[in-house]
Amino acid sequence: MSELHWMTAGAAAAAIAKRELSPVELVRALLNRIARFDPRFNAFIRVEADAALQEARAAEAEAAEGRLRGPLHGVPVGIKDIIDVAGLPTTCHSKVLEDAPPASADAECVARLRAAGAIVLGKLSTHEFAIGGPSLDLPWPPARNPFNRDHHPGGSSSGSGVGLAAGFFPIALGTDTGGSVRNPASACAIVGLKPTYGLVSRRGVFPLAFTLDHVGPMTRTVADNALMLGVLAGRDPIDPGSVAAPRSGDYMKALEQGLRGLRIGFVRHFHETDMPADPEVAAGLEKVARTLASEGAEVVDVKLPPLEDFAAVNRVILQSEAWSIHAEWLQERPGDYGRLARRRLMSGAFIGAGDYVLASRRRSQMIADVEAALRKVDVLLCASAMDPPCRIEDPAAVERTYMRQARTPFNVTGHPALAMATGLSRDGLPLAVQFVGRYFDEATVLRAARAWERAAGTDGLHPPL
Amino acid sequence: MDERTVEVLAKRAGLEKALAQFPDDVTAAANSAEKVSDRVRQSGSTPPPSLEPWPPMVVVRT
Repeated sequence: MSELHWMTAGAAAAAIAKRELSPVELVRALLNRIARFDPRFNAFIRVEADAALQEARAAEAEAAEGRLRGPLHGVPVGIKDIIDVAGLPTTCHSKVLEDAPPASADAECVARLRAAGAIVLGKLSTHEFAIGGPSLDLPWPPARNPFNRDHHPGGSSSGSGVGLAAGFFPIALGTDTGGSVRNPASACAIVGLKPTYGLVSRRGVFPLAFTLDHVGPMTRTVADNALMLGVLAGRDPIDPGSVAAPRSGDYMKALEQGLRGLRIGFVRHFHETDMPADPEVAAGLEKVARTLASEGAEVVDVKLPPLEDFAAVNRVILQSEAWSIHAEWLQERPGDYGRLARRRLMSGAFIGAGDYVLASRRRSQMIADVEAALRKVDVLLCASAMDPPCRIEDPAAVERTYMRQARTPFNVTGHPALAMATGLSRDGLPLAVQFVGRYFDEATVLRAARAWERAAGTDGLHPPL
Repeated sequence: MDERTVEVLAKRAGLEKALAQFPDDVTAAANSAEKVSDRVRQSGSTPPPSLEPWPPMVVVRT
Protein backbone atom coordinates (compact mmCIF):
# COMPACT_ATOMS: atom_id res chain seq x y z
CA MET A 1 0.00 0.00 0.00
CA SER A 2 1.64 3.28 -1.12
CA GLU A 3 1.63 6.70 0.53
CA LEU A 4 0.30 5.57 3.89
CA HIS A 5 1.09 9.05 5.19
CA TRP A 6 -1.67 10.64 3.11
CA MET A 7 -4.26 8.01 4.00
CA THR A 8 -7.38 9.39 5.67
CA ALA A 9 -8.47 8.15 9.08
CA GLY A 10 -11.66 6.75 7.56
CA ALA A 11 -9.78 4.82 4.88
CA ALA A 12 -7.19 3.55 7.37
CA ALA A 13 -9.84 2.36 9.83
CA ALA A 14 -11.75 0.62 7.03
CA ALA A 15 -8.60 -1.09 5.74
CA ILE A 16 -7.61 -2.19 9.26
CA ALA A 17 -11.10 -3.56 9.90
CA LYS A 18 -10.88 -5.60 6.68
CA ARG A 19 -7.35 -6.69 7.64
CA GLU A 20 -5.97 -5.14 4.46
CA LEU A 21 -3.74 -2.86 6.53
CA SER A 22 -1.78 -3.57 9.67
CA PRO A 23 -1.86 -0.84 12.34
CA VAL A 24 1.79 -1.72 13.01
CA GLU A 25 2.69 -1.07 9.36
CA LEU A 26 0.82 2.24 9.47
CA VAL A 27 2.42 3.42 12.72
CA ARG A 28 5.89 2.38 11.51
CA ALA A 29 5.44 4.29 8.24
CA LEU A 30 4.39 7.43 10.10
CA LEU A 31 7.19 7.14 12.67
CA ASN A 32 9.70 6.84 9.80
CA ARG A 33 8.25 9.94 8.16
CA ILE A 34 8.35 11.85 11.45
CA ALA A 35 12.00 10.84 11.99
CA ARG A 36 12.86 11.96 8.46
CA PHE A 37 11.02 15.27 8.27
CA ASP A 38 10.10 16.55 11.73
CA PRO A 39 13.58 17.91 12.52
CA ARG A 40 12.74 20.53 9.84
CA PHE A 41 9.22 21.30 11.07
CA ASN A 42 9.14 20.70 14.86
CA ALA A 43 5.57 19.43 15.04
CA PHE A 44 6.40 17.18 18.00
CA ILE A 45 7.53 17.97 21.53
CA ARG A 46 7.80 14.24 22.19
CA VAL A 47 7.22 11.17 20.04
CA GLU A 48 6.02 8.08 21.91
CA ALA A 49 7.31 5.54 19.39
CA ASP A 50 7.54 2.47 21.65
CA ALA A 51 4.15 3.02 23.26
CA ALA A 52 2.53 3.66 19.87
CA LEU A 53 4.00 0.48 18.40
CA GLN A 54 2.86 -1.50 21.43
CA GLU A 55 -0.68 -0.13 21.04
CA ALA A 56 -0.54 -0.87 17.31
CA ARG A 57 0.38 -4.50 17.97
CA ALA A 58 -2.54 -4.77 20.40
CA ALA A 59 -4.86 -3.19 17.82
CA GLU A 60 -3.64 -5.64 15.19
CA ALA A 61 -4.28 -8.61 17.46
CA GLU A 62 -7.77 -7.33 18.27
CA ALA A 63 -8.57 -6.78 14.60
CA ALA A 64 -7.40 -10.31 13.84
CA GLU A 65 -9.96 -11.57 16.35
CA GLY A 66 -12.66 -9.36 14.85
CA ARG A 67 -12.74 -7.13 17.93
CA LEU A 68 -12.76 -3.49 16.85
CA ARG A 69 -12.83 -0.90 19.61
CA GLY A 70 -14.57 1.73 17.49
CA PRO A 71 -14.49 3.81 14.31
CA LEU A 72 -10.83 4.82 14.80
CA HIS A 73 -9.44 1.35 15.50
CA GLY A 74 -5.68 1.49 14.81
CA VAL A 75 -5.69 5.13 13.64
CA PRO A 76 -2.75 7.26 14.89
CA VAL A 77 -3.47 10.65 16.47
CA GLY A 78 -1.36 13.60 17.60
CA ILE A 79 -2.21 15.48 20.81
CA LYS A 80 -1.54 19.18 21.44
CA ASP A 81 0.63 19.46 24.51
CA ILE A 82 -1.83 21.37 26.65
CA ILE A 83 -4.00 18.22 26.74
CA ASP A 84 -3.33 15.50 29.30
CA VAL A 85 -2.18 12.07 28.18
CA ALA A 86 -1.84 9.63 31.08
CA GLY A 87 1.79 8.97 31.98
CA LEU A 88 3.18 11.95 30.04
CA PRO A 89 3.89 15.48 31.28
CA THR A 90 1.74 18.29 29.92
CA THR A 91 4.33 21.01 29.28
CA CYS A 92 2.19 23.62 27.50
CA HIS A 93 5.43 24.25 25.52
CA SER A 94 6.67 26.31 28.47
CA LYS A 95 9.66 26.40 30.76
CA VAL A 96 7.13 26.95 33.56
CA LEU A 97 5.96 23.33 33.17
CA GLU A 98 9.11 21.83 31.62
CA ASP A 99 9.47 19.50 34.62
CA ALA A 100 5.77 18.84 35.15
CA PRO A 101 4.95 15.41 36.60
CA PRO A 102 3.23 12.90 34.31
CA ALA A 103 -0.53 13.35 33.98
CA SER A 104 -2.42 10.88 36.13
CA ALA A 105 -5.20 10.36 33.60
CA ASP A 106 -6.12 11.01 30.00
CA ALA A 107 -8.12 14.13 29.24
CA GLU A 108 -11.72 13.19 28.43
CA CYS A 109 -11.17 13.92 24.72
CA VAL A 110 -8.11 11.63 24.65
CA ALA A 111 -9.99 8.93 26.55
CA ARG A 112 -12.78 9.08 23.97
CA LEU A 113 -10.31 8.77 21.10
CA ARG A 114 -8.61 5.80 22.75
CA ALA A 115 -11.98 4.14 23.44
CA ALA A 116 -12.69 4.48 19.70
CA GLY A 117 -9.40 2.72 18.95
CA ALA A 118 -7.03 5.62 18.24
CA ILE A 119 -3.29 5.31 18.95
CA VAL A 120 -1.47 8.28 20.52
CA LEU A 121 1.74 9.04 18.59
CA GLY A 122 2.97 11.81 20.87
CA LYS A 123 2.59 15.36 22.17
CA LEU A 124 2.61 18.30 19.78
CA SER A 125 4.05 21.80 19.74
CA THR A 126 1.82 24.70 20.69
CA HIS A 127 2.24 28.37 21.32
CA GLU A 128 3.23 28.72 24.98
CA PHE A 129 0.12 28.10 27.10
CA ALA A 130 -1.84 28.37 23.83
CA ILE A 131 -1.22 32.12 23.69
CA GLY A 132 2.44 33.13 23.33
CA GLY A 133 3.93 32.33 20.00
CA PRO A 134 5.57 31.57 17.71
CA SER A 135 8.53 32.06 20.04
CA LEU A 136 12.22 31.28 19.78
CA ASP A 137 12.83 31.78 23.53
CA LEU A 138 11.16 28.57 24.76
CA PRO A 139 12.57 25.11 25.68
CA TRP A 140 11.36 23.68 22.35
CA PRO A 141 11.55 25.34 18.92
CA PRO A 142 8.37 26.62 17.26
CA ALA A 143 6.64 24.48 14.65
CA ARG A 144 7.20 25.60 11.07
CA ASN A 145 4.91 25.62 8.06
CA PRO A 146 5.39 22.57 5.78
CA PHE A 147 4.41 24.66 2.74
CA ASN A 148 7.43 26.88 3.45
CA ARG A 149 9.37 26.43 6.67
CA ASP A 150 10.28 30.12 6.76
CA HIS A 151 6.60 30.88 7.34
CA HIS A 152 4.27 30.79 10.34
CA PRO A 153 2.12 27.63 10.55
CA GLY A 154 -0.54 29.41 12.60
CA GLY A 155 -1.30 28.64 16.20
CA SER A 156 -1.72 28.00 18.88
CA SER A 157 -2.37 24.38 17.79
CA SER A 158 0.69 24.71 15.56
CA GLY A 159 2.09 21.18 15.87
CA SER A 160 -1.35 19.73 15.07
CA GLY A 161 -1.63 21.73 11.83
CA VAL A 162 1.96 21.10 10.83
CA GLY A 163 1.86 17.37 11.52
CA LEU A 164 -1.34 16.93 9.51
CA ALA A 165 -0.02 18.92 6.55
CA ALA A 166 3.29 17.05 6.65
CA GLY A 167 1.64 13.62 6.71
CA PHE A 168 2.73 12.68 10.25
CA PHE A 169 -0.77 11.58 11.35
CA PRO A 170 -4.29 11.71 9.85
CA ILE A 171 -6.05 13.28 12.85
CA ALA A 172 -5.06 15.55 15.73
CA LEU A 173 -6.52 17.36 18.70
CA GLY A 174 -6.36 21.12 18.96
CA THR A 175 -7.84 23.77 21.23
CA ASP A 176 -9.39 27.10 20.30
CA THR A 177 -9.85 30.15 22.57
CA GLY A 178 -9.36 32.93 20.03
CA GLY A 179 -9.05 30.84 16.87
CA SER A 180 -6.30 28.35 17.69
CA VAL A 181 -7.75 25.35 15.84
CA ARG A 182 -8.78 27.41 12.83
CA ASN A 183 -5.58 29.46 12.54
CA PRO A 184 -3.28 26.49 11.82
CA ALA A 185 -6.02 24.96 9.69
CA SER A 186 -5.94 28.14 7.60
CA ALA A 187 -2.15 28.37 7.43
CA CYS A 188 -1.53 24.67 6.71
CA ALA A 189 -4.42 23.87 4.32
CA ILE A 190 -6.07 21.34 6.60
CA VAL A 191 -9.57 21.20 8.17
CA GLY A 192 -10.08 22.54 11.70
CA LEU A 193 -13.40 22.69 13.52
CA LYS A 194 -14.20 24.61 16.67
CA PRO A 195 -17.40 22.89 17.80
CA THR A 196 -20.24 24.55 19.68
CA TYR A 197 -19.15 25.61 23.18
CA GLY A 198 -19.84 22.67 25.50
CA LEU A 199 -20.13 19.96 22.82
CA VAL A 200 -16.64 18.51 23.48
CA SER A 201 -15.35 18.14 27.03
CA ARG A 202 -12.43 20.34 28.18
CA ARG A 203 -11.67 18.15 31.21
CA GLY A 204 -7.93 17.46 31.38
CA VAL A 205 -7.02 20.38 29.11
CA PHE A 206 -4.88 23.17 30.60
CA PRO A 207 -7.23 26.18 30.54
CA LEU A 208 -6.50 29.47 28.83
CA ALA A 209 -9.88 31.18 29.35
CA PHE A 210 -12.71 29.17 30.85
CA THR A 211 -15.62 30.67 28.95
CA LEU A 212 -13.86 30.78 25.58
CA ASP A 213 -11.96 27.46 25.51
CA HIS A 214 -12.99 24.77 23.05
CA VAL A 215 -11.43 21.42 22.04
CA GLY A 216 -11.71 20.62 18.35
CA PRO A 217 -10.91 17.98 15.73
CA MET A 218 -8.18 18.73 13.19
CA THR A 219 -7.90 16.58 10.06
CA ARG A 220 -6.92 16.65 6.40
CA THR A 221 -10.43 16.03 5.10
CA VAL A 222 -13.94 17.11 6.01
CA ALA A 223 -15.10 13.49 6.27
CA ASP A 224 -12.37 12.71 8.80
CA ASN A 225 -13.39 15.78 10.75
CA ALA A 226 -16.98 14.54 10.91
CA LEU A 227 -15.78 11.08 11.91
CA MET A 228 -13.59 12.46 14.69
CA LEU A 229 -16.28 14.83 15.98
CA GLY A 230 -18.66 11.90 16.30
CA VAL A 231 -16.17 10.30 18.68
CA LEU A 232 -15.43 13.46 20.66
CA ALA A 233 -18.92 14.94 21.10
CA GLY A 234 -20.93 14.16 24.19
CA ARG A 235 -21.84 15.28 27.67
CA ASP A 236 -19.21 15.13 30.39
CA PRO A 237 -20.80 15.68 33.81
CA ILE A 238 -17.43 16.66 35.31
CA ASP A 239 -16.82 19.53 32.85
CA PRO A 240 -18.99 22.42 34.09
CA GLY A 241 -19.27 23.83 30.55
CA SER A 242 -20.36 20.55 28.99
CA VAL A 243 -23.91 20.19 27.72
CA ALA A 244 -26.08 17.38 26.45
CA ALA A 245 -26.17 18.29 22.77
CA PRO A 246 -29.60 18.10 21.17
CA ARG A 247 -28.36 16.91 17.78
CA SER A 248 -24.98 15.26 18.35
CA GLY A 249 -24.31 11.89 16.82
CA ASP A 250 -23.51 10.80 13.31
CA TYR A 251 -21.97 13.81 11.57
CA MET A 252 -21.21 11.77 8.43
CA LYS A 253 -24.83 11.38 7.37
CA ALA A 254 -25.40 14.78 5.75
CA LEU A 255 -21.94 15.20 4.26
CA GLU A 256 -22.78 14.30 0.69
CA GLN A 257 -26.25 15.88 0.59
CA GLY A 258 -25.07 18.83 -1.51
CA LEU A 259 -26.23 22.40 -1.12
CA ARG A 260 -29.61 22.59 -2.77
CA GLY A 261 -32.00 24.43 -0.47
CA LEU A 262 -29.23 25.77 1.78
CA ARG A 263 -29.08 29.53 2.49
CA ILE A 264 -25.57 30.85 3.04
CA GLY A 265 -24.90 34.29 4.54
CA PHE A 266 -21.68 35.90 3.28
CA VAL A 267 -20.18 38.24 5.92
CA ARG A 268 -18.32 40.38 3.41
CA HIS A 269 -17.75 43.40 5.65
CA PHE A 270 -15.33 41.41 7.84
CA HIS A 271 -12.73 41.28 5.07
CA GLU A 272 -13.84 44.18 2.85
CA THR A 273 -14.12 47.07 5.32
CA ASP A 274 -13.53 45.94 8.94
CA MET A 275 -10.06 44.50 8.23
CA PRO A 276 -9.35 44.75 4.50
CA ALA A 277 -7.89 41.44 3.41
CA ASP A 278 -5.00 40.60 1.13
CA PRO A 279 -6.37 40.56 -2.46
CA GLU A 280 -5.65 36.85 -2.90
CA VAL A 281 -7.55 36.03 0.32
CA ALA A 282 -10.51 38.14 -0.87
CA ALA A 283 -10.47 36.53 -4.31
CA GLY A 284 -10.50 33.09 -2.71
CA LEU A 285 -13.57 33.96 -0.65
CA GLU A 286 -15.43 35.27 -3.70
CA LYS A 287 -14.57 32.04 -5.52
CA VAL A 288 -16.03 29.97 -2.66
CA ALA A 289 -19.24 32.03 -2.70
CA ARG A 290 -19.61 31.69 -6.50
CA THR A 291 -18.89 27.96 -6.38
CA LEU A 292 -21.36 27.25 -3.59
CA ALA A 293 -24.02 29.23 -5.47
CA SER A 294 -23.33 27.19 -8.59
CA GLU A 295 -23.70 24.05 -6.46
CA GLY A 296 -27.26 25.07 -5.56
CA ALA A 297 -26.95 27.24 -2.44
CA GLU A 298 -28.57 30.65 -2.16
CA VAL A 299 -25.82 33.09 -1.12
CA VAL A 300 -26.89 36.39 0.45
CA ASP A 301 -24.96 39.17 2.21
CA VAL A 302 -25.21 39.27 6.00
CA LYS A 303 -24.13 41.98 8.44
CA LEU A 304 -22.77 41.33 11.93
CA PRO A 305 -21.17 43.71 14.48
CA PRO A 306 -17.75 45.09 13.48
CA LEU A 307 -14.88 42.63 13.74
CA GLU A 308 -12.89 44.95 16.02
CA ASP A 309 -15.74 44.91 18.56
CA PHE A 310 -15.73 41.11 18.67
CA ALA A 311 -11.95 41.11 18.97
CA ALA A 312 -11.94 43.56 21.88
CA VAL A 313 -14.58 41.58 23.79
CA ASN A 314 -12.59 38.39 23.18
CA ARG A 315 -9.34 39.96 24.42
CA VAL A 316 -10.83 41.51 27.58
CA ILE A 317 -12.48 38.23 28.59
CA LEU A 318 -9.53 36.06 27.55
CA GLN A 319 -6.90 38.15 29.28
CA SER A 320 -8.96 38.54 32.47
CA GLU A 321 -9.63 34.82 32.79
CA ALA A 322 -6.06 33.86 31.81
CA TRP A 323 -4.64 36.27 34.41
CA SER A 324 -6.62 34.50 37.13
CA ILE A 325 -4.87 31.27 36.12
CA HIS A 326 -1.33 32.62 35.64
CA ALA A 327 -1.11 35.43 38.21
CA GLU A 328 0.94 33.56 40.80
CA TRP A 329 3.50 32.25 38.28
CA LEU A 330 3.79 35.66 36.61
CA GLN A 331 4.34 37.27 40.02
CA GLU A 332 6.96 34.74 41.17
CA ARG A 333 8.78 33.63 38.01
CA PRO A 334 8.08 36.00 35.11
CA GLY A 335 11.40 35.04 33.49
CA ASP A 336 10.20 31.48 32.94
CA TYR A 337 7.69 32.70 30.35
CA GLY A 338 8.64 33.59 26.79
CA ARG A 339 8.28 37.26 25.94
CA LEU A 340 5.07 36.96 23.90
CA ALA A 341 3.21 34.89 26.50
CA ARG A 342 4.45 37.12 29.33
CA ARG A 343 3.16 40.27 27.61
CA ARG A 344 -0.17 38.80 26.60
CA LEU A 345 -0.87 37.10 29.95
CA MET A 346 0.14 40.10 32.09
CA SER A 347 -2.42 42.27 30.29
CA GLY A 348 -5.11 40.72 32.44
CA ALA A 349 -3.57 42.38 35.50
CA PHE A 350 -4.56 45.76 34.07
CA ILE A 351 -8.19 45.02 33.20
CA GLY A 352 -10.74 46.12 35.75
CA ALA A 353 -13.63 44.00 36.99
CA GLY A 354 -16.08 46.48 35.49
CA ASP A 355 -14.54 46.08 32.04
CA TYR A 356 -14.65 42.28 32.29
CA VAL A 357 -18.34 42.34 33.21
CA LEU A 358 -19.10 44.92 30.52
CA ALA A 359 -17.35 42.71 27.93
CA SER A 360 -19.42 39.74 29.15
CA ARG A 361 -22.61 41.78 28.75
CA ARG A 362 -21.57 42.93 25.27
CA ARG A 363 -21.00 39.26 24.58
CA SER A 364 -24.70 38.62 25.26
CA GLN A 365 -25.57 41.27 22.68
CA MET A 366 -23.21 39.72 20.15
CA ILE A 367 -24.71 36.29 20.68
CA ALA A 368 -28.14 37.79 19.97
CA ASP A 369 -26.81 39.46 16.79
CA VAL A 370 -25.28 36.24 15.40
CA GLU A 371 -28.37 34.25 16.39
CA ALA A 372 -30.54 36.75 14.51
CA ALA A 373 -28.40 36.31 11.39
CA LEU A 374 -28.57 32.53 11.68
CA ARG A 375 -32.37 32.63 11.81
CA LYS A 376 -32.27 34.00 8.24
CA VAL A 377 -29.56 31.71 6.85
CA ASP A 378 -28.34 28.18 7.56
CA VAL A 379 -24.60 28.84 7.44
CA LEU A 380 -22.31 31.87 7.50
CA LEU A 381 -19.37 32.17 5.11
CA CYS A 382 -16.54 34.55 6.04
CA ALA A 383 -12.81 35.06 6.14
CA SER A 384 -10.59 33.21 8.57
CA ALA A 385 -7.14 34.84 8.19
CA MET A 386 -6.88 38.18 6.38
CA ASP A 387 -3.36 37.43 5.16
CA PRO A 388 -1.36 34.47 3.89
CA PRO A 389 0.97 33.02 6.58
CA CYS A 390 3.69 35.57 7.40
CA ARG A 391 7.39 34.92 7.86
CA ILE A 392 7.94 33.23 11.22
CA GLU A 393 11.11 35.11 12.15
CA ASP A 394 9.64 38.54 11.44
CA PRO A 395 8.24 39.66 14.83
CA ALA A 396 6.63 42.76 13.33
CA ALA A 397 4.75 40.68 10.75
CA VAL A 398 3.73 38.14 13.40
CA GLU A 399 2.39 40.95 15.59
CA ARG A 400 0.66 42.69 12.66
CA THR A 401 -1.15 39.58 11.44
CA TYR A 402 -1.96 38.24 14.94
CA MET A 403 -5.21 40.18 15.21
CA ARG A 404 -6.05 40.32 11.49
CA GLN A 405 -8.49 37.45 11.54
CA ALA A 406 -12.22 36.70 11.80
CA ARG A 407 -12.14 33.74 14.17
CA THR A 408 -12.62 35.41 17.57
CA PRO A 409 -16.31 36.28 16.95
CA PHE A 410 -17.25 32.64 17.28
CA ASN A 411 -15.28 32.06 20.46
CA VAL A 412 -17.22 34.99 21.86
CA THR A 413 -20.57 33.57 20.74
CA GLY A 414 -19.78 29.84 20.97
CA HIS A 415 -21.14 28.98 17.51
CA PRO A 416 -19.49 26.11 15.60
CA ALA A 417 -16.91 27.33 13.07
CA LEU A 418 -14.72 25.47 10.61
CA ALA A 419 -11.69 26.73 8.68
CA MET A 420 -10.25 25.14 5.57
CA ALA A 421 -8.31 26.04 2.44
CA THR A 422 -9.56 28.01 -0.52
CA GLY A 423 -6.33 27.25 -2.37
CA LEU A 424 -2.74 28.43 -2.49
CA SER A 425 -1.35 31.92 -3.08
CA ARG A 426 0.98 32.72 -5.97
CA ASP A 427 3.80 32.06 -3.50
CA GLY A 428 2.44 28.60 -2.70
CA LEU A 429 1.05 29.49 0.74
CA PRO A 430 -2.39 28.37 1.97
CA LEU A 431 -5.38 30.73 1.87
CA ALA A 432 -8.55 30.01 3.85
CA VAL A 433 -12.29 30.33 4.35
CA GLN A 434 -14.51 29.86 7.39
CA PHE A 435 -17.98 28.32 7.69
CA VAL A 436 -20.12 29.02 10.78
CA GLY A 437 -23.34 27.33 11.85
CA ARG A 438 -26.14 27.35 14.37
CA TYR A 439 -25.53 25.96 17.84
CA PHE A 440 -25.06 22.17 17.69
CA ASP A 441 -25.62 22.14 13.94
CA GLU A 442 -22.07 21.04 13.09
CA ALA A 443 -23.63 18.67 10.54
CA THR A 444 -24.67 21.56 8.29
CA VAL A 445 -21.30 23.29 8.68
CA LEU A 446 -19.57 20.07 7.63
CA ARG A 447 -22.01 19.63 4.75
CA ALA A 448 -21.17 23.07 3.33
CA ALA A 449 -17.45 22.47 3.88
CA ARG A 450 -17.63 19.12 2.11
CA ALA A 451 -19.39 20.69 -0.87
CA TRP A 452 -16.53 23.19 -1.24
CA GLU A 453 -13.89 20.49 -0.72
CA ARG A 454 -15.49 18.30 -3.38
CA ALA A 455 -15.79 21.15 -5.87
CA ALA A 456 -12.29 22.57 -5.31
CA GLY A 457 -10.31 19.45 -4.46
CA THR A 458 -8.77 21.10 -1.39
CA ASP A 459 -8.14 17.70 0.20
CA GLY A 460 -5.42 17.18 -2.40
CA LEU A 461 -3.35 20.20 -1.29
CA HIS A 462 -0.15 18.74 0.11
CA PRO A 463 3.14 20.57 0.65
CA PRO A 464 6.17 19.57 -1.41
CA LEU A 465 8.44 18.28 1.38
CA MET B 1 -1.14 54.75 30.20
CA ASP B 2 1.49 56.89 31.91
CA GLU B 3 4.54 55.37 33.54
CA ARG B 4 3.47 56.14 37.12
CA THR B 5 0.03 54.57 36.66
CA VAL B 6 1.56 51.47 35.11
CA GLU B 7 3.92 51.16 38.08
CA VAL B 8 1.17 51.58 40.68
CA LEU B 9 -1.16 49.10 38.98
CA ALA B 10 1.64 46.58 38.38
CA LYS B 11 2.68 46.69 42.04
CA ARG B 12 -0.91 46.33 43.15
CA ALA B 13 -1.13 43.22 40.96
CA GLY B 14 2.01 41.78 42.57
CA LEU B 15 4.17 42.25 39.47
CA GLU B 16 7.19 43.83 41.23
CA LYS B 17 9.57 41.20 39.82
CA ALA B 18 8.27 41.62 36.29
CA LEU B 19 8.49 45.38 36.68
CA ALA B 20 12.15 45.10 37.68
CA GLN B 21 13.17 42.49 35.13
CA PHE B 22 10.90 43.19 32.14
CA PRO B 23 9.66 46.80 32.39
CA ASP B 24 8.97 47.02 28.64
CA ASP B 25 6.76 43.94 28.78
CA VAL B 26 4.79 45.33 31.73
CA THR B 27 4.25 48.61 29.89
CA ALA B 28 3.20 46.79 26.70
CA ALA B 29 0.75 44.62 28.67
CA ALA B 30 -0.77 47.66 30.38
CA ASN B 31 -1.17 49.55 27.11
CA SER B 32 -2.73 46.53 25.41
CA ALA B 33 -5.22 46.16 28.26
CA GLU B 34 -6.11 49.84 28.11
CA LYS B 35 -6.65 49.68 24.34
CA VAL B 36 -9.02 46.70 24.37
CA SER B 37 -10.90 47.95 27.45
CA ASP B 38 -11.44 51.34 25.80
CA ARG B 39 -12.73 49.62 22.67
CA VAL B 40 -15.25 47.59 24.68
CA ARG B 41 -16.45 50.71 26.52
CA GLN B 42 -16.80 52.72 23.32
CA SER B 43 -18.39 50.06 21.10
CA GLY B 44 -22.14 49.96 20.74
CA SER B 45 -24.72 51.69 22.87
CA THR B 46 -24.99 51.51 26.66
CA PRO B 47 -26.49 48.11 27.45
CA PRO B 48 -29.86 48.14 29.21
CA PRO B 49 -29.56 47.44 32.96
CA SER B 50 -31.34 44.12 32.51
CA LEU B 51 -28.73 42.75 30.06
CA GLU B 52 -26.90 40.05 32.01
CA PRO B 53 -23.40 38.74 31.26
CA TRP B 54 -22.76 35.54 29.42
CA PRO B 55 -22.43 32.80 30.61
CA PRO B 56 -25.71 32.93 32.53
CA MET B 57 -26.04 31.70 36.08
CA VAL B 58 -26.91 28.00 36.12
CA VAL B 59 -27.86 26.09 39.25
CA VAL B 60 -26.56 22.54 39.27
CA ARG B 61 -26.92 19.81 41.87
CA THR B 62 -23.48 18.48 42.85
